[in-house]
Amino acid sequence: MDTALAVVAMSFDYRKKQVLHSISFSVARGAICGLLGPNASGKTTLLKCINGVLQPRAGAVQANGKAIGDLSRQEIARLMAVVPQQTSLVFAFTALQMVIMGRAARLDTLRLPSRQDRADAERALVALGIGSLSGRFFNELSGGERQLVLLARALFQDTPILLLDEPTSHLDFRNQFMIMDVVRDMTRKNGLATVVSLHDPNLAARYCTQLVVLKDGALYREGPTEIVFERRTLEEVYGMEVVIERTAGRPATVMPRAADGRA
Amino acid sequence: MKDQRLAVLIAVIILITCIGAALTLGRYRIGVATLGEIISLSLRGNESSPALATPTLVLWSVRLPRVVIAIIVGAALAVAGAVFQSLFRNPLVSPGILGVTSGASFGATLAIFIAGNSALAIGGSAFLWGLIAVALAYQIGRRSGNSVTSLVLSGVIVSALFTAGVSFLRYQADPYQHLPAMVFWSMGSFNSIVWADALRALILIVPGLAAIYLLRWWLNPIALGDEDAMALGINVPKARVVYVLIGTLIVAASVASSGNIQWVGLVVPHMARMIVGSDHDVLIPFTALLGGIFMLIMDTLARILPGGEIPVGILTAILGAPFFAYLLITNEKRGGWQN
Repeated sequence: MDTALAVVAMSFDYRKKQVLHSISFSVARGAICGLLGPNASGKTTLLKCINGVLQPRAGAVQANGKAIGDLSRQEIARLMAVVPQQTSLVFAFTALQMVIMGRAARLDTLRLPSRQDRADAERALVALGIGSLSGRFFNELSGGERQLVLLARALFQDTPILLLDEPTSHLDFRNQFMIMDVVRDMTRKNGLATVVSLHDPNLAARYCTQLVVLKDGALYREGPTEIVFERRTLEEVYGMEVVIERTAGRPATVMPRAADGRA
Repeated sequence: MKDQRLAVLIAVIILITCIGAALTLGRYRIGVATLGEIISLSLRGNESSPALATPTLVLWSVRLPRVVIAIIVGAALAVAGAVFQSLFRNPLVSPGILGVTSGASFGATLAIFIAGNSALAIGGSAFLWGLIAVALAYQIGRRSGNSVTSLVLSGVIVSALFTAGVSFLRYQADPYQHLPAMVFWSMGSFNSIVWADALRALILIVPGLAAIYLLRWWLNPIALGDEDAMALGINVPKARVVYVLIGTLIVAASVASSGNIQWVGLVVPHMARMIVGSDHDVLIPFTALLGGIFMLIMDTLARILPGGEIPVGILTAILGAPFFAYLLITNEKRGGWQN
């Protein structure tokens, strides 16, 4: 196994309240690791600790064998790119300008992005099939288009590790699958180690090769999707009764078992 | 890209035209032909004729330093406004956000109170207290979370403190000897600027503007927000200190030289964003040009409007406030500030 990202016994406190408790897992190149758990289970906090935006109280994160705690922001940004939860911008930047910012970690302080950088950024948009959005303002794009632009920026950052914080949460039904298809294709093509937090266990079952299931900030279960994704785990974590439909042995859909037994 | 370059080019042409107009217009009229003659004579290094002695003196000793300082102060206030707006991710931020203008006002008022009307004392004290105010605001902000909100709030606190100090000094001041100077200074003016004043301001402002110009692109990722900028590889707290320091330097130097001129740092960056967009690559140089043009036009109007010269700070507020109201309303129709 070619491990790109390892989280080792990581704990995080916020104002004396323990938010994450001794989390450990690792992600190999070409793998998509899904973070599952209800709201406030610590998914976003975990991603911020991995990225070094938050300092864990104990434990460590290793990216390509280097401890994140010892690295500068620039060095971290050369190892991992983040697709943030969807936000709108205060100022009007175009899609192309957004993507070019992915170069920040590789520029000298007194240098501007070159003509070559612009051309490369343009290609990063084309690679995701959104070359036509290049000159459009980010805030005028649809949710799916914005998410693709942010993904293009993360890929343009050209890092071995990719982190996504609920990339599907503001998207309609079709765009959720569209975005996750792109994430899966790029993870395989570029041999990335991808970590994605998801609300919807169905998407996790469909796209993730491994799962990290959180409950109240603690690691409830972790491992390959085929093993971890089962009825008891989901019922415990989400606090509801569910049924899982399987097609050809793989978990396909999970839905609530209604109280009146009709489901 | 092409449109943006065209906008910069047009701004340069307008600025040159305005400089020509500002040099010829005024109580002592200098014809365009005379202006051309003086320029060509001095370019060739020839002695000017006795007939041109008076216009040359007016041009060289009175108008030119004033034109230069108006442009450079306009550019400094506007660029500082653009930088602070991006740094604090808020288009309503003005260069005074961290208390530099109220600190400088206190410094100038204090100098007048103690030392009377000495330009050097007023300028030096304004500069010093402007820096003290920002340092204070920055320390309070850093100790209360180092977020954008805590910085803005500590700026409010420090401004309130120094504004009270100004009021106290005015209340205590001699109403015949010192109060008029305090009031005049608080309105801001380029009146009676000589080369020595202009050079004192230039020495601080030009390197500051050059530094911001060189570092301008990094304001793009910083304007996205702290976490986004950090994920892109930027040491946000360190970058913020650098920009705040340079911005404070040029604002304090501007206020020290010409008093408290409001609105330019708020309105001009707005106009610039509406014309060339938010990419700082173009926005920063364009804002500097527009700030220079705006201030030069305002100061020329302040000189030539009938009824005698008025402080330019009054004009910028009279024209700036309605214009800002207009921006607010049209922006609301387009979907408000957040879009």
